[in-house]
Amino acid sequence: MPTPLPDHARDESRFQTAKTTLFVDRFMTVFIKFGGALVITSVLGIFVFILLQIWPLFAPARVTALKSVNLPERKFALLGMDEWGAKPFLLETNGRMLTVDADSGAVSEVEIPLGEAQGTPITAAALNKREQKIILGTADGRFVIVAPGYSSSEQNGVQSIAINPKAEPPVAIGLPGVPIVDVAYGDSGTSKLVVALQSDGEKTQLTASLFKRKRALMGRSKEEAAGSFDLTALVPGRPDKILVPGTGDSVVVLTESGSVCYLALVGEAFEVRQVFKPFEDLPEAHINAAAFIFGDVSISFASDSGANRVFSLYYPPGGSKRTFGLTHEFPPLEVSPVFLVSTLRNKAFLLGGGGDLSLRYSTTDSIRWQERMPYRVANAVISGKYHRLAVLDEENRLHFFAIHDPHADSGWKALFGKIWYEGASEPKWEWQSTGGSDDFEPKYSLVPLIFGTLKGTLYAMVFAVPIALLAALYTSQFLDPRFRSVVKPTMEIMASLPSVVLGFLAAIYVAPLIERQVPSLLLCVAGVPLVAAVIGFVWSRLPIRFRKLIPPGWEWIVFLPVLLCAGSLLWSLGPLFEAVAFVVTDPATGQKTADFRAWWPAATGASFDQRNSLVVGFMMGFAVIPIIFTIAEDALSNVPTPLITASMACGASRWQTALRVVLPTASAGIFSALMIGLGRAVGETMIVVMATGNTPIMEWNIFSGMRTLSANIAVELPEAPHHGTLYRTLFLGAMVLFLLTFAVNTVAEILRHRLRERFKTI
Amino acid sequence: MSSDHDLKKTMAAKGEPFVWLTAMGLSVGLLMVAGLLGIIIANGVPVFWPDRVVQLTLKPGISSPVPGGGSEIVGELVQKRVKRIPILGADGSPAADQTEIQVFVGNKDAYAINFAFANQVDIAAESFPPDIYRFERLEYGIAFGYPRAIKLPDGSSIPATSPDFPRLLAELTNEATDRRHQIEFIEKREIGAINSRLTELRVKKGTTDTAAELASLDADYQRLAAEARTLRQQQAATVLVYGTPTGLERTLAIGDLVAYTQPNLLTLPQQAGLFLHNIWNFLTLEPREANTEGGIFPAIFGTFVMTLLMSLAVVPFGVVAAIYLREYAHQGFFVRCVRIAVNNLAGVPSIVFGVFGLGFFVYFVGASIDGWFFNEYLPTPTFGTGGIFWAALTLALMTVPVVIVATEEAMAAVPRGMREGSLSCGASKWQTIQRIVLPASLPGILTGLILAMARGAGEVAPLMLVGVVKLAPSLPIDGSFPFVHLERKFMHLGFHIYDLGFQSPDSEAAKPMVFATTLLLIALVVVLNLAAILIREKLRKKYATGAF
Repeated sequence: MPTPLPDHARDESRFQTAKTTLFVDRFMTVFIKFGGALVITSVLGIFVFILLQIWPLFAPARVTALKSVNLPERKFALLGMDEWGAKPFLLETNGRMLTVDADSGAVSEVEIPLGEAQGTPITAAALNKREQKIILGTADGRFVIVAPGYSSSEQNGVQSIAINPKAEPPVAIGLPGVPIVDVAYGDSGTSKLVVALQSDGEKTQLTASLFKRKRALMGRSKEEAAGSFDLTALVPGRPDKILVPGTGDSVVVLTESGSVCYLALVGEAFEVRQVFKPFEDLPEAHINAAAFIFGDVSISFASDSGANRVFSLYYPPGGSKRTFGLTHEFPPLEVSPVFLVSTLRNKAFLLGGGGDLSLRYSTTDSIRWQERMPYRVANAVISGKYHRLAVLDEENRLHFFAIHDPHADSGWKALFGKIWYEGASEPKWEWQSTGGSDDFEPKYSLVPLIFGTLKGTLYAMVFAVPIALLAALYTSQFLDPRFRSVVKPTMEIMASLPSVVLGFLAAIYVAPLIERQVPSLLLCVAGVPLVAAVIGFVWSRLPIRFRKLIPPGWEWIVFLPVLLCAGSLLWSLGPLFEAVAFVVTDPATGQKTADFRAWWPAATGASFDQRNSLVVGFMMGFAVIPIIFTIAEDALSNVPTPLITASMACGASRWQTALRVVLPTASAGIFSALMIGLGRAVGETMIVVMATGNTPIMEWNIFSGMRTLSANIAVELPEAPHHGTLYRTLFLGAMVLFLLTFAVNTVAEILRHRLRERFKTI
Repeated sequence: MSSDHDLKKTMAAKGEPFVWLTAMGLSVGLLMVAGLLGIIIANGVPVFWPDRVVQLTLKPGISSPVPGGGSEIVGELVQKRVKRIPILGADGSPAADQTEIQVFVGNKDAYAINFAFANQVDIAAESFPPDIYRFERLEYGIAFGYPRAIKLPDGSSIPATSPDFPRLLAELTNEATDRRHQIEFIEKREIGAINSRLTELRVKKGTTDTAAELASLDADYQRLAAEARTLRQQQAATVLVYGTPTGLERTLAIGDLVAYTQPNLLTLPQQAGLFLHNIWNFLTLEPREANTEGGIFPAIFGTFVMTLLMSLAVVPFGVVAAIYLREYAHQGFFVRCVRIAVNNLAGVPSIVFGVFGLGFFVYFVGASIDGWFFNEYLPTPTFGTGGIFWAALTLALMTVPVVIVATEEAMAAVPRGMREGSLSCGASKWQTIQRIVLPASLPGILTGLILAMARGAGEVAPLMLVGVVKLAPSLPIDGSFPFVHLERKFMHLGFHIYDLGFQSPDSEAAKPMVFATTLLLIALVVVLNLAAILIREKLRKKYATGAF
């Protein structure tokens, strides 16, 4: 008779899991799957976010058509626009101005109060973008400077632009009564240079009038004529078009034969500085259109056939005067260009002809935007803020466009290519994000920064790798196991030292020390390993009864005092070494100086900075050595023991075993250790920020500094305007760092993984 | 004979010299660690030890670099350093080295210099004036001098020769310190509270009852300001007259006197007491004089709060992700790739995380929060600028791979038998994780967390982008509502070092402070790391002896 089951055992539901347990389990499954995937996605999302930030750097300009306005059938001498791009004006030859409202399309008419010149036909007109003024040349040989007088007011959040043109009194220039066919002026604030080309069919004269302005302490400054110059004889050939830079000290004259004559005002007279033909090599050399690019240092020329070249002023090698030279060449426009207009914001210009419009950026040789229009273009103007464009076609229609091109100065070429910046005598990789003047052009080449990163990494690795690998080999193969639990954590502590501390010590302590004692350091670097090798050699030759005094695995303890002694001895011998080897003789006085800091520049021509790559390399060693050490040591000590014991049993010494058996087996692991060390050196920030001068130079000189990608971000990002080109470029720098370290680490990780698999099978 | 010799030769193990060479590698590495820690300790600890004030008498004909100092330099010895003369004689023989002495002379208001240099050979005599005082002032740093009198507010004057003088000076200094605390309380706490209320009201202008409240707040403000003014007048009313070692007579309002000692009369126990007192002050006071004087309490507090916030963020996320990867995700190629990727994120430079933090947290999330909740404060950003919360999140993101990897490793080390035992007893998957796996891997998680904290506490580069400042006006946690101010900017030990060592107007005077801060930061980081290492060692042993 079996004992009856207890009550609870007969409960049918006793094998059922509690509902709450099931519920909690199901909930946690969903929660963890969802949460875990979310965390991992968001961590990896860093990559995507940074990518989104840098994308606009490589995007082309976006130009969208807004509106077209039909204008009355008239002849226009000039097209201009306010800086907001809201109310362009068209100047008629009778001195009236048409303004077109960009929003409503309404056309209104304004009379310019021309004073004495009222009623005289206007035969020439030019914009002075910098001054936001217009200069008019009349049929009776006078010029008038007109300010359009734009003003902006805001009411209920709606901006309205008013125009109120004001003219200065007309001034006669050159031949009296002869019509002016082209006119231009430049104004530097203290002097104004007006240049006019007059022609009545037979006589042609090119005249420059100079006006000086004395700065008055109170009230308006007075302007007075300071000379008139007849330039006709200086120009070879018939003048066709005049360009005057804002500095008002030179004239660029284009002739009908396609020559460009650069005349400079020197003292009281003009002299021909340069005559050149921009399209000399082309069959048709005539210049159809030309304009100064913002900054008035470069001129963009367009030939009859559509070729487009930019010439800039720079000091040619060996020259003492700035002359024009070809700096940028663009792909030709397929049609013959009729106009070329520049902007006031950057180095972009618009080239137009036939139905084609092409927005180009001179510095980077890039075509930002190009499109064929269904009409034939006649003229165009870009607003001062580089966000609106108005194009006049041959049927007297005005077409408005919006330009969205916030990063015109960026792109692959600007970031990674050699760029010929204005004023430079050759194309260069350059990083210079801020400058003093308004027309300063920021230079965003990442190449010097990548170079600096590699330079810092190289010097750090040169110093760290030997020490770390030797130490790892010794610790894993020869060290008495009792010490391992002390040695490894000590080295790991080194890895955890905050880099700001290392950087601070590098700059405040190590840099001044090394600066004074380079010869001592050289002696130590050469001498310490030598001492170690000699001691090892001598020791191994000693009879066994001496050798057994130091048990295997204790050598490093012996070395601590020996190294200290040898190091300090060598260190103190430095000055003597310097007095022998690094002597500079001052050629003037014959005074001999034993100073490495003077010797190095004298002997190599390279500079010597206090905060240099040597200091960085040394200090970065603190960051890199422990990482390489730990991983390499792991790899080495994970080599299966049977391999080692087998080697030993065959009679190999411990060194032979280590060199021939352990090292090859663990080579992948060691390589991955080096890679991870490299990754750390590449991204190191604070040490580099503090221990180098952060100069973006490109030279391998160990006694000069560098600027790395990471230091560059740390230095510049706090000041970078949100979503500006600099901001995005710094994000790109971060992206490069990210990819670099990520790739390096991935390779290392895969290698390590392989190694582990291999050891498993042994 | 000869065969014996040969045998001896072959018995000498091949490659022994190379073994020695590798030993050198280890020794150099260890010496580097020891040297670095040694330099920091040797420079950091003496900062707190009260120095004696030395009086150097220069040889006749050599004038003191101290303005009006005659032939004497009085101050604290900073260092003696060997200055090499690089110029060679005609025969190529180097000139003899010179030893230069650097003396901290203080009295910056009177001398306009902080340090004086003299050549060892120029010194005729060295003495320690017994009755010299060292005054620590609120402004202009340290002054050395001889007190002459105390001028009381009633116009009477008590000369330093009076027997009452030492007691009086001590009493007055204590009173002044109390008053300084009162002023601080009034200006920072009470007026600060009024100010923040005013800002709130200004934002919500237009409601009916604001006018009345504004008036009452203004009245409060006037009362408090008057109170503070009275206290300040009292601080300036009593004046200590003292003579500098150069004989100038200077005055010092008693309110500006922080502390004073007679350094050359201190006994060893007194010195030790002062040493501890200085350390205490360093840890608990707020910085003064562009951070070169006073303490670093706000930096310690900022580092602490930031690390705490970071830990709060990093642990749950890291552990959940690790559990997912180890226990729930299907172990295939994809998960292996993810694991490698996460692992490698730990090696991505910290500055990249800083860049991300600035772009995402500050400019994207922060600006959105401002737009939704703090619209009335715009264009002044609340969360749309760097702050302690964003800094903590950025560092959490940076350290989450560390925690994931450590947790995963710890979970992988939990023996299979334990899991299977639990499952076979009928526990659900989550119950197994909750009751068996997680407790067993707790030390591993802890290790990861400690490593993450050590990294977070020592990291500076990303913080520079997301909210650390050289001098924060208020702490991230304080007594005013809502007590925890996540949007505030904060100070940080690591950044403090960077700022003092590099951006300070007088970096030489800031040096002791930087070394002391460095010592503290290193101690913090090393202790955290040692803890992590110890826990890991223990963990290893536990599983090595495990019966499963």
